[in-house]
Amino acid sequence: MTEVAGLSVSNLNAWYGESQALHGMDFEVRPGEVVTLLGRNGAGKTTTLRSIMGLLKRKTGVIRFGEEDIRGRLPEYIARKGIAYCPEERGIFASLSVDENLTLPPVVAPGGMSVDDIFNLFPNLAERRNSQGTKLSGGEQQMLAIARILRTGATLLLLDEPTEGLAPVIVKQIGQVIGRLKERGLTVLLVEQNFRFASKLADRHYVVEHGRIIDTIAAADVAASMTRIENYLKV
Amino acid sequence: MFEILGISPVLLFGQLLIGLINGVFYAMMSLGVAIIFGMLRIGNFVHGAQYMLGAFGAWYLLHLPDLFPGLGLPSLGYWWALVLVPFGVGLIGAFMERVFIRKVYDLEHAYGLLLTVGLAMMIEGIFNVGYGAAGQQYSVPESLRGGINLGFMFMPLYRVWVIVFALLVCFATWYVIERTKLGSYLRAATENPDLVRAFGINVPRMLMLTYAFGVGLAGLAGVMAAPIYQVSPQMGQSIIITIFAVVVIGGMGSIFGAIFTGLMLGLVEGLTKVFYPQGSTTVIFIIMAIVLVFRPAGLFGKETSAHHPSDIAAARPGSILENGRLWLAVMAIGGSILPFMVYPVFAMKMLCLALFASAYNLVFGYVGLLAFGHAAFYGSSAYVAAHTASIWGFPTEVAILSGVAAATALGALFGWLAIRRQGLYFAMITLALAQIVYFYAIQASWTHGEDGIQSVPRGYLFGVIDLNEPLNMYFFVLAIFLAGFAAIYRIVRSPFGQVLKSIRENEPRSVSLGYSTDRFKLIAFTLSAALAGLAGGTKAIVFQIASLADLYFMTSADALLMTLIGGVGTLLGPVVGAIVVVTMQKELATLGSWVIVVQGSAFVLCVLFLRKGIVGTLEDFLARRAERKRIAVNGGTTASQPVLDPEAAS
Repeated sequence: MTEVAGLSVSNLNAWYGESQALHGMDFEVRPGEVVTLLGRNGAGKTTTLRSIMGLLKRKTGVIRFGEEDIRGRLPEYIARKGIAYCPEERGIFASLSVDENLTLPPVVAPGGMSVDDIFNLFPNLAERRNSQGTKLSGGEQQMLAIARILRTGATLLLLDEPTEGLAPVIVKQIGQVIGRLKERGLTVLLVEQNFRFASKLADRHYVVEHGRIIDTIAAADVAASMTRIENYLKV
Repeated sequence: MFEILGISPVLLFGQLLIGLINGVFYAMMSLGVAIIFGMLRIGNFVHGAQYMLGAFGAWYLLHLPDLFPGLGLPSLGYWWALVLVPFGVGLIGAFMERVFIRKVYDLEHAYGLLLTVGLAMMIEGIFNVGYGAAGQQYSVPESLRGGINLGFMFMPLYRVWVIVFALLVCFATWYVIERTKLGSYLRAATENPDLVRAFGINVPRMLMLTYAFGVGLAGLAGVMAAPIYQVSPQMGQSIIITIFAVVVIGGMGSIFGAIFTGLMLGLVEGLTKVFYPQGSTTVIFIIMAIVLVFRPAGLFGKETSAHHPSDIAAARPGSILENGRLWLAVMAIGGSILPFMVYPVFAMKMLCLALFASAYNLVFGYVGLLAFGHAAFYGSSAYVAAHTASIWGFPTEVAILSGVAAATALGALFGWLAIRRQGLYFAMITLALAQIVYFYAIQASWTHGEDGIQSVPRGYLFGVIDLNEPLNMYFFVLAIFLAGFAAIYRIVRSPFGQVLKSIRENEPRSVSLGYSTDRFKLIAFTLSAALAGLAGGTKAIVFQIASLADLYFMTSADALLMTLIGGVGTLLGPVVGAIVVVTMQKELATLGSWVIVVQGSAFVLCVLFLRKGIVGTLEDFLARRAERKRIAVNGGTTASQPVLDPEAAS
């Protein structure tokens, strides 16, 4: 594995057209950590991931990955630096087979998993290699979406609500996968609304509201802060 | 000698061979258009011009020593051209993508089509200035001369080569896109370009290369066509509309569909030449119409989710420039003074075209349908009015009304066929349908082919007023224009017009409110055709001629250009646009063939810099000024007021 870089975001503001979505986000993800962004719908979690990835153009502030400020960079440059993105809507390509979907993202650094490793991790996918990507079930599509960014050798994974709308047994399976990724030394920034799922995995939780971080909870303090967290997330 | 159905086999196989040759060119060209449309969402109207560039490229390479005497350049023959020219044309394509086409990716499809129409006019116009209508000869390369005698027919070697090589190129392209890694990038980028970029693939560069490749295919087709057809500036113009029809028939998203359909239609065209020669120019368009009725998505297309066009209208409701009563009065007064300031004939031309553009604006501006075949209504009405007035002796007003009736019927039919598809497809379909009328007028006897119907009598209005008197004629035309303008204003302001605007802004929402949007679209389209017919019929009486130019697709393009220059979806835009375009054509008449180049540049400049048009921009300016005044009056209390124009604030 190549040298692992951390991510630090400071005073990040971002806009969709005229409406400002992020108002000074500040947080960091150290190498090898799993960190979650928690918050309600519309709090700015997905916007944060899209900003880091360079998919949102209008933004100010600093997004430091390793030594470099990648804030003004294009998505294709940022991906080559070793950041991989798994979008909320999964983004499985309908015109590509499972195999093609899996091998689509180019390898950006050595140290990624081989296709065989990936099929060991996700046995379901192996059986359906030649199916059309969007013919898979929701859970399988989510696995494919995660699986395809593991090949690339990226060291920081941005996962946007990987458990959304999935059966508990699949959620558990995805939790195990993220645990394994952490063991392999990958850094993960996870966006979640499902706190129960996130609490078992993450080293630290940031609570997002109105486009800024309003609280930080370390894994050790989760049990003590339960009511506080429920207050943040209740509708 | 045996015969099949009374046709000699020599004729049959000869025409089939010609059909097959045409078919491989259709296949190569529609393949490029389909790839560019699939990946870039651009309806590449300039494809024909790029094909023509390929043929001229081959011709230039052959004549290098004559073109640059003294440089000691060698004359490069066919095989060199086959390698160098597609590359060169692709390079020109990459440049065009970089400078122009990239600018319109995020805009409504209409702008991509307009931009490429403008570029095609510029390129073809320049070559037209240089070479005129005359074709240049390009001979078959030495190594491919001669042929094989198959017993029942003689098979020229060069044609065998063209068929084999073109099929090879088509197959290789299909293979690359459907079966390789690079192809999977392309297919993925078509679905979700942002995500593919986020995987580290330089999508903008890939799109540029895709465009260059598609254009390179056109260049290659051009080189291969040079020894078969004449190398002339017009060679691309005639093929591009057929290619659009092939892409519609083949179906969206199908590379294979484009290739297969191209070949088949070439053969069908060849067969038609044997059995029903009169139908050979229109058979492809008629097949397109039939396919649209039974399989709107095309033979091999998958039914894609309807593309929802974004709002293209530049009008600001409530602006003083949208007040029809006021402007109707202003135009009535201005129109009465006009003939004493400019030639009445010139003023009448302006009025006819202003009405035509306003009619066009009714579908394009208010319903958001990118129609590209309004010449069919304008021209058919002109022909019918001219015929009834001069041959059947109809009184003038009845002659015009018969023209309107013909245009209305045609509009209802074309509308019924075309509203099955949206966006760019709607444009391609209306264009192809209009082409049927054009070819019909070339062949029918009552339309007198190239001559058109001349010396149409102006007659007497209501049997009393002599329309040969220029001022009488003028005020008659002014009355027609004002009536048409008032009708459009009335339609747009009625509840019916409000539904049309809601369809433009959000069709799914209108459907969910219970409106049968297809019916509304069809009625609007038919009304627009009727008004375009009114303009065309009047024009035939004023100028005493109906000619092929009235039906030619450039007339449709003129309507679009006038609407765009003036301001899409604004009340006065088409009128202002007509004044600008007619004045421009008059002032530039001394430039001769350059006019088309200037007009093409106007298209390109409008799309790049003046998308709101003159009237739309003016309405913006007035709204902003009013807003500034209001802020100045209200002082500091405006902070909570909404900003009127988001762009002004950024």
